[in-house]
Amino acid sequence: MTRRGLIGIPLAVALLAALSLYRETIGFPLFYLGLLTTMLFWVTQATSWNILSGYSGYFSFGQAAYVGVGAYTTAVLFGRHGVNFYLTILVAAALCAVLGLAMGALAFRLRALRGEIFALLTLAVPFILAALARINPAIDGGQGIIVSIPEYPEGIGLFQDYLYLATLLVAGAAVFAAYAIRQSRFGWALSAIHDAEDVAEGLGVATFRYKLQALVASAVIGGVGGSIFALQIGFVAVDSVFQLTVPLFVIVMSVLGGRTHWIGPVIGVVFVVLVQDRLTASGLGRWQLIALGAILAALVVVAPDGIYARLKARPLLAAAVAVPITAVVWLVAQPLDGMLAGLLAATAIALWPARRRPPPSVDRGVVDTDRSPIRVDKSSSDGEEAVVECRGVTKYFGGVRALEGVDFTIREGEIVGLVGPNGSGKTTLVSLLAGSLRPTRGTIRIAGQDLAHLPAHRVAHAGVARTYQIPRPFASMTVRDNVAMAVMFGRSPLPLGTARREAQRPLDVVGLGALADAYPSALNLHQRQLLEMARALAADPKVLLLDEALAGLNPAEIDNAVQVVRRVHASGVSIVIVEHLLRVVKALATRIVVLDQGSCLADGDPTEVLADPAVVRAYLGRRAHARDS
Amino acid sequence: MSTIQAALSGILLGGLYALMAAGLSVTWGVLRVINLAHFGLMLVGAYLTFELASAWHINPLWTLVVTVPAMFVLGGALQLAFDALRISELNSLLLTFGLLIIIVQSVSNIWSADFQRMTAAVNPYATESVRLGRFVFPVPTLFAFAVAILIIGCAHLVLRRTFAGRALRAYAEDRAVAGAFGVDHRRVGVLLAATSGGSAAVAGMLFSLGSSLTPATAYEWFGTVFAVVILGGVGHLLGTLSAGLLVGLLSGVVSVVLSPATAPFVLFSLIVLALLLRPRGLFAARTAR
Repeated sequence: MTRRGLIGIPLAVALLAALSLYRETIGFPLFYLGLLTTMLFWVTQATSWNILSGYSGYFSFGQAAYVGVGAYTTAVLFGRHGVNFYLTILVAAALCAVLGLAMGALAFRLRALRGEIFALLTLAVPFILAALARINPAIDGGQGIIVSIPEYPEGIGLFQDYLYLATLLVAGAAVFAAYAIRQSRFGWALSAIHDAEDVAEGLGVATFRYKLQALVASAVIGGVGGSIFALQIGFVAVDSVFQLTVPLFVIVMSVLGGRTHWIGPVIGVVFVVLVQDRLTASGLGRWQLIALGAILAALVVVAPDGIYARLKARPLLAAAVAVPITAVVWLVAQPLDGMLAGLLAATAIALWPARRRPPPSVDRGVVDTDRSPIRVDKSSSDGEEAVVECRGVTKYFGGVRALEGVDFTIREGEIVGLVGPNGSGKTTLVSLLAGSLRPTRGTIRIAGQDLAHLPAHRVAHAGVARTYQIPRPFASMTVRDNVAMAVMFGRSPLPLGTARREAQRPLDVVGLGALADAYPSALNLHQRQLLEMARALAADPKVLLLDEALAGLNPAEIDNAVQVVRRVHASGVSIVIVEHLLRVVKALATRIVVLDQGSCLADGDPTEVLADPAVVRAYLGRRAHARDS
Repeated sequence: MSTIQAALSGILLGGLYALMAAGLSVTWGVLRVINLAHFGLMLVGAYLTFELASAWHINPLWTLVVTVPAMFVLGGALQLAFDALRISELNSLLLTFGLLIIIVQSVSNIWSADFQRMTAAVNPYATESVRLGRFVFPVPTLFAFAVAILIIGCAHLVLRRTFAGRALRAYAEDRAVAGAFGVDHRRVGVLLAATSGGSAAVAGMLFSLGSSLTPATAYEWFGTVFAVVILGGVGHLLGTLSAGLLVGLLSGVVSVVLSPATAPFVLFSLIVLALLLRPRGLFAARTAR
């Protein structure tokens, strides 16, 4: 991971600060300082939005709430009651943190809540707060509040300089925070939530906590920005802070620049503010919003990833085109026109459709080097300690009885084949064991620990890992990082570097070592299923739940997968394998459990169980059996 | 006394909310498009009615002859575009947000941002009211209520009873399977979105009968209409109707008992509560999943 931001961000802040500190020496016009202040305000807001919505994918339309709370805190306390200005910034941050906590605690607690509903909920918040401010005379009462100029050190120069520097400081801090988050575990967790939230939870990522932290971080940054904004506008009124253009701007800016990278919003801000300014300067001010709306709509269709991701693909070409265009227009017209022209040119280059290169051929990746069968010592399972213990597990979905009083034990070192007709409750049982569902009645214990009140990520830490019937890799990460995620957020959390090295072992076990740097989109179904297994294995589980991990494979792939399962088992993991292919189950399982219509039909030695007439009847159907008998 | 009056007026107004929400709810539920541009269509419908009635002295009701086909075509065209571009649910939210901004700003550029209202000369219904015993109801609200019930009721019957309705419901349940059984999702989807656009024109007209217009009205509808959509259960027409009436009733009563400004709080708390207790909508059948 590059550390460019570590030096780059402070350097950029220092350079920008110099523009104001030595303004008179270098003859930097005040007008540009104002424009930069506006840009920096939006950098703060767009970055704030991006930390939650860009990184984790939970779109918020409620940015105006933070701006409003921040601006009103300063306006009421400093503007009306003369409280120290810097103190009001802290109060604004605290209030926004509380607001974020409250929103998150409500919104993220709801399991059924999807991203779209979250977006609509956040849409409502600024309206509510605006109504509150409007009717409450202690806050606003419909009059608006004048914010005077606070005292500041004399050496700084004009008030505009002071405002600029304060905004710069906040924006720099915000971008740095976004950068630091992106580089940390926190950022990886948010990416995983973005890609596949419940998979992340199942791997041990505390999704609720991370989402809440992101929301609070976003709220605090937005609020501090809003606090300074109160000085910038000088007169705080409901309509100037709680307006819908705030979320519009931050969304357009972030989507335009790129949502997954910390610098994306910054690029978007420069672009949008320049467009705005040039439109106003040419007397087309009332087309501003139309232009922005059009940019947003067009981008969603053309480049949902934003400009930055596209620019990275051809930086030299973009620079080669943009620089001369900027220079020419700068000389002919105004500097700002030049910059805008350059930006537009670079954007055009970035968005120019790339030739679709075929993805690198990766088929040679899965080569089973170890053909010798690994012996599974079937007798070793007797008398071992129970890893999983289910007692009277019952699960209803509304009126549908999925499982009824299932007793089920897995001892250390076993491979238990879980079979049964479709709809017999196999996947439900797997989900219960993995903690993503809760039993209606009954107890489940993993290594002696009761699962009843554990969230799914704690169940993962207790030693359960699962694969999904349809593989669900984290699309934005390489194969290695997919596996490293499980190591990073496992029982004993590790930093990224170590986790990446650790990831090699599970990748080798499943035979994906050669593909470690590919992205999941380049993998075929078999390889994706192996990736699922590697990821589960990396969490160092006591028991591994394989939910139809071999579905849809050809015979050769199945043989390979069986080998892999054996290798996994040999590394000391107990396995529950849900499978329809009895050939596979027979080859692997040390014991078979048959489910039928939600209850346990048989449990025991594979050959005996599969010969049981009740099992045959369940699999082949009642009528077939009736004809037989 | 005044509380009962407020409750009844609220319910009547709720009918209009329900009509506004119905199109949004059905396209969201069936087509998986959260069409914020629907608010724009309603706004344009309202302004077209205003313009036609004011400039050409057409009876506001007759303006539907123009506005409904116009919004029908617009709604259908938008859906065609969404379909061709394969927009995901979340991206539809972003895309239509952009479209809504464009529409609202265009309306503002054409008709200005000031409040405008049809004069009594062109809108004979604005000042009339019906007296029932001790209660008074303005004709625009009564009328809006009746039309809303009529349209939602018809739409419900169409969805329940006709072949096209069944095809739509099948499509909402499982697109792939419905497609395999010969449901042409394009045609059905475009027809549905177009109809929803037509309903937006009617809703806009009804709104303009009784209220002043300003471009920002489109945003003011957001809170109430989404409350109705979510409370009613996305995609459920009768649920939407009931939720509309309930929201209207509550807003009316709260406005009188407490104060008009507290209505949004009550509404918001209601949504949150409903999401906590009945995430699939207040009136959703307790079906298994």
